[in-house]
Amino acid sequence: MKFFHYVNFVIIVILLIAICVIEEVIVSSSLKQVQTRCYEIEMLLADRNDLLNMEITLQIDNLEYSWKKDETAMCFLVNHKNIQEIGQEIAKLKLYIASNDIDAFRVSLEEIKFYCHSYLHFMGANLHNVL
Amino acid sequence: MLTIIIRSVIIYLIVLLVFRLMGKRQLGQMQPFELVLTLIIADLATIPMAEVSVPVLHGVVPLLSLVVLHFILTLICRCSQHFSKIISGKPVIIVNPKGIDYQAMKKLNLSTDDIFEALRGAGYFSISDVQYAIMETNGKVSVMPKSAAAPVTNQDLNNKVADNYLPIVLVSDGKIIKENIALAGVSQKEISDLVKENSNSKNCSIKDVLLLTINKTGQAYLQMKQGEGLSFQSKRLVSK
Repeated sequence: MKFFHYVNFVIIVILLIAICVIEEVIVSSSLKQVQTRCYEIEMLLADRNDLLNMEITLQIDNLEYSWKKDETAMCFLVNHKNIQEIGQEIAKLKLYIASNDIDAFRVSLEEIKFYCHSYLHFMGANLHNVL
Repeated sequence: MLTIIIRSVIIYLIVLLVFRLMGKRQLGQMQPFELVLTLIIADLATIPMAEVSVPVLHGVVPLLSLVVLHFILTLICRCSQHFSKIISGKPVIIVNPKGIDYQAMKKLNLSTDDIFEALRGAGYFSISDVQYAIMETNGKVSVMPKSAAAPVTNQDLNNKVADNYLPIVLVSDGKIIKENIALAGVSQKEISDLVKENSNSKNCSIKDVLLLTINKTGQAYLQMKQGEGLSFQSKRLVSK
């Protein structure tokens, strides 16, 4: 019986470590991917005054697709309220393309990058977050 | 709403598992650190249950972390007497042969009413009957009465009495408990015959039995679903 007690303890510790590692891998890779895509879109926007470009539309579609895919997995690990703004801003990007509002588009891109950066900072196990 | 129901079931099962892993102590028997853990667990469990945006893992991970913490604390307490005293405290004598220890009473933040309540709970209504009263680490008071006030035992009277044995439940609510039958070393037919012999009606079967117990000496207790309980010595059934 005592043996099983120790086995339970070891299983729980392994489970907790696994959850922490999976969270770190899934969340940080997803958010970093979104950040990278945002930088790529920003590069495309440089020296442009409009959004009427097939490549930009394609990049936004890819961004939306990959975010939706990652968001489902992330909902198991993080509070959905903390990441839902990213999805909302991505949806807004598509609207701004339709209305060709490049300034609002740029603001939304910045906000997505800001949310990703904030959450990456917030999820790390450092002294600031612990205290 | 279905999500909340499913989450509630998951959290309930996990909390149940957590309490099983923590042991079988009741609320009044808990050490201070166990009581703190229980209160935190109760609070943690409600968050993912009610808040759908919070992942179930946000409730499960702290719960499991607390189990690990509890396990470590228990292990250290078992290994180190000193640490155990820091975490759980140590028993304090609140009543000694001279009377109530006022210093101990103040230290434990107790009133005389509290001490009397605890003594009455232990069955002693007068402090003059008490030799020692000890406040245990789980908050219960153990009382050692003065010899004159202690209940008389067979040993005091030099009476020779047979040892008591634990009764084994053979039939409960009309169902034979197979594990216990094997333990007692009796057959189903023997039980069936015993029921017929000792019940009012010859048509009675095991299904009509509410409770049948037997101990090592053959002392049996039979109660039918309709009728009074009957205690008798069985020659047919003697538990091995």
